[in-house]
Amino acid sequence: MAALAEFRKASLRRELESIVGASAVLTDPDELLAYESDGLTMLRALADFVVFPTSAEHVSAVVRLANREGVPFVARGAGTGLSGGCLPAEGGIVVSLMRMNRVLEVDYENQIAVVEPGLVNLHLSWAVGRRGYYYAPDPSSQQACTVGGNIANNSGGPHTLKYGVTTNHVLGLEVVMPDGEIVWLGGRTRASAGYDLVGVFVGSEGTFGVATKIVVRILKKPQAVKTVLAVFDEIDQASAAVSAIIARGLVPAAVEMIDQLTIQAVEDAFDCGYPRDAAAALLVELDGLTVGMEAQAERIVQACRDSGAREVRTARDEAERQLLWKGRKSAFGAYGRISPAYMVMDGVIPRTKLPYVLRRVNDIVAAHGLRVGNVFHAGDGNLHPNILYDPRRAGEEARVLAAGAAIMRLCAEVGGSISGEHGIGLEKADFMPFIFSPDDLALMQRLKNAFNSSGLCNPGKIFPTSKSCAEVGPAAYRPHAIEEKGLAQRF
Amino acid sequence: MPDALLDGLRGLVGPANVLTGIELGPYVIEGRTPDAAVFPRSVAEVVGVLALATEAELPVVPWGGGTAAAVGLPAARAGIVLGLSRMTRLVEHEPGDLTATVEAGVTVAGLQSALRARGQWLSLDPPDAERATVGGVVAADASGPRRHLYGTPRDLLIGVTVVTAEGAVVRGGGKVVKNVAGYDLPKLFIGSYGTLGVVVEATVKLRPLPDAERLVCASFDRLKDAGDAVRALMSSDLVPNAVELLDGAAAAALGAGAGLGAALVVGFDGLDEQVVWQCDELARLVTSLGGRDPRALPPEAWARLAPAARAAVGQPVAVMSFALLPTQVTETMEQGANAARARGFHTAWAAHASVGVVSAAIAPEPARPEPAPLAAVLAEWREMAHAGGGRATLEWAPLAVKAQVPVWDDPGAAGRIMQRIKREFDPRNVLNPGRFVAGI
Repeated sequence: MAALAEFRKASLRRELESIVGASAVLTDPDELLAYESDGLTMLRALADFVVFPTSAEHVSAVVRLANREGVPFVARGAGTGLSGGCLPAEGGIVVSLMRMNRVLEVDYENQIAVVEPGLVNLHLSWAVGRRGYYYAPDPSSQQACTVGGNIANNSGGPHTLKYGVTTNHVLGLEVVMPDGEIVWLGGRTRASAGYDLVGVFVGSEGTFGVATKIVVRILKKPQAVKTVLAVFDEIDQASAAVSAIIARGLVPAAVEMIDQLTIQAVEDAFDCGYPRDAAAALLVELDGLTVGMEAQAERIVQACRDSGAREVRTARDEAERQLLWKGRKSAFGAYGRISPAYMVMDGVIPRTKLPYVLRRVNDIVAAHGLRVGNVFHAGDGNLHPNILYDPRRAGEEARVLAAGAAIMRLCAEVGGSISGEHGIGLEKADFMPFIFSPDDLALMQRLKNAFNSSGLCNPGKIFPTSKSCAEVGPAAYRPHAIEEKGLAQRF
Repeated sequence: MPDALLDGLRGLVGPANVLTGIELGPYVIEGRTPDAAVFPRSVAEVVGVLALATEAELPVVPWGGGTAAAVGLPAARAGIVLGLSRMTRLVEHEPGDLTATVEAGVTVAGLQSALRARGQWLSLDPPDAERATVGGVVAADASGPRRHLYGTPRDLLIGVTVVTAEGAVVRGGGKVVKNVAGYDLPKLFIGSYGTLGVVVEATVKLRPLPDAERLVCASFDRLKDAGDAVRALMSSDLVPNAVELLDGAAAAALGAGAGLGAALVVGFDGLDEQVVWQCDELARLVTSLGGRDPRALPPEAWARLAPAARAAVGQPVAVMSFALLPTQVTETMEQGANAARARGFHTAWAAHASVGVVSAAIAPEPARPEPAPLAAVLAEWREMAHAGGGRATLEWAPLAVKAQVPVWDDPGAAGRIMQRIKREFDPRNVLNPGRFVAGI
């Protein structure tokens, strides 16, 4: 999309201001820079406008204006996404939902909450926590990411093993359609008339419209929680323990695996109590009734011991439990201390393939001359290999991308998926043919046409381009102008 | 139906697998007899059948076990019943992955028995599991009492293979339990009543079989008190797997005893000690709220829960289902029964109370063979549901009643999106035309 002529931009700015107010429109290039990428900073594009609506009517008016002008628009939450899903359309409008961040209503008896899309995920659990409730999907970025962003990505998190991902907790959505019409999909009850439009909207990565009100289920906090740490000298033993836990008929709330490189980074940074010399650790959490908790924990402990764990211990108190979880949830931050940059991969495999795939992942990355840290949702087979690299070294980023593509192929080969929770966005659009046939993609395109026929709503995402195989993957990183001037840096 | 088409179908699936004429008895819906019923054995044969039907622009009615065949409006034109009953393979079951892939025609009971042998189950208990097929359960979004804890098909279906009206074989989702690659096509086919494609294969999440399970029933003199017990249960620490509320008539049909005001039936599963402790706690909770005689029901009672309202009425003239806020369940049951009684009808009501899903069956009082119009009662019921932000579906009724009372709620503006989806997926309007919402 060619940049708009200056005079047209100025007139569009005035119109946007008349909708959302002068203080809610950004056009200054320095300010727009903050919106040029999401958490995947390798990909970037500059919008012409960022607007901050405070109502569905605002969003609708902005979208109608964009349609009239033929300008693309992209909804954005906190920008913590990891696949370039809310990357602006060059020269388009970014619709930031961050000023629509209220909890509109909580109905405890019916266990539902109605929230705005810009509400931070964790703030919802805080809001209902005093009454003993919480919002179950807990992405690792939950201190920053928004419920609206979670809707777009169908976000997961550690506890989705037992409780399901975002889509399992959303009942209804008020949506501004790509043509500006405000429509309710679903509602507050468990069934609605017709096709499950909520089900297809969740996870559509912002290509079906902009959610402006969200009805979610809130859950009663469990009576008891128990967290077990199992330490292994070999990564294969940890993988085997995951299968052993499942074979014993247990569905823990979470089963997370952390490898040695990650443990060491976390311990350097936060001192969370993981043994630095372990090849891998499993963090297993049980929740539910107090009665039977000991018996279940004993089954977990036994499964880990039988798989060769050298040490299995239970968090003594809430403080120790929080510390262990801090280690898990701060892993990404810890990588930042040992490497100038890292690429977070996200793939899913059948759980039984875990030992084989982890070995292969480590081999693939090593063959590309790079290091990898693994910290992931082992219980549901959702891998997060994190490839460490230095973008200043010539050619290193290209090797990261090549290793990443090889890992995605591996996930596809063993019957898995190329994304468990981070989405396709722009990053993986060209990997879609790894798991979907042209007919599969064609039907998805038809579904998109039914929602977004103009294509102006978050263009360029999810669907593969027609690049040849040799070009697969996102474009290589190039330093941005302001980086070269020393005005900013990547983190 | 042209002879050439019939010959084509016979050539495709074999003459023995094409039924015509008098053999079509089981496939007659509301007095409308299809031209033929065809039973392919493979995905390729399904593709072939659809290609022939689409070319002839004959409506196609996908058919699993037929348990939901009368839901919605029958096609205005007779067409081809596409039966999946020969596609019953368990394609893949890797216990360590807690997933299974099956052909659409396998019955739920058949799947459960194969899984049980390996210590697992599909945590879904739709009515009539001996007949209901996995594909049909997906298409009709069927579930049962255990949905309280384990959800509905949308929480369990992770992958689907469909044949589109134009004969494309399309896979949506995948075989892994967590997957956000591309649009969530499986969700779209759940509850689509065969209007978007023919489900030929499904991949589902499984769970390990619990060590123990028990169903507990408590009697109440008043429905309202039973409703209060549901609320108390929902805000307690207990983790039931089913919370069912039945009015007196439905309770009697369940076998919970005659002359009750209501029955609250609650299921628990897990470790032995968990089940025992929860049953004790529940007994305490219900007796403090006016409940009497908390007692275990036999395991056979599970299957009688969902159809209890229908069974209680004997020969219902209509069955309506509601999706309500859970707090409105008892009020709707009471008011709905009163509204019917005032017009000379008797009713029975059963609810998955904790999730607000209610089923009501209605029939004329024997003493009043010519009651006021049934349509008036059903319309009133629907208004009651809407007034509280809920939904109503005319689950079953004779065609004459359906002509007066819409089967489906008006989906409002969302209906236009649904129509666009239908046009994109089935441009020649071959699959179950006119059966679904918004004229789809």
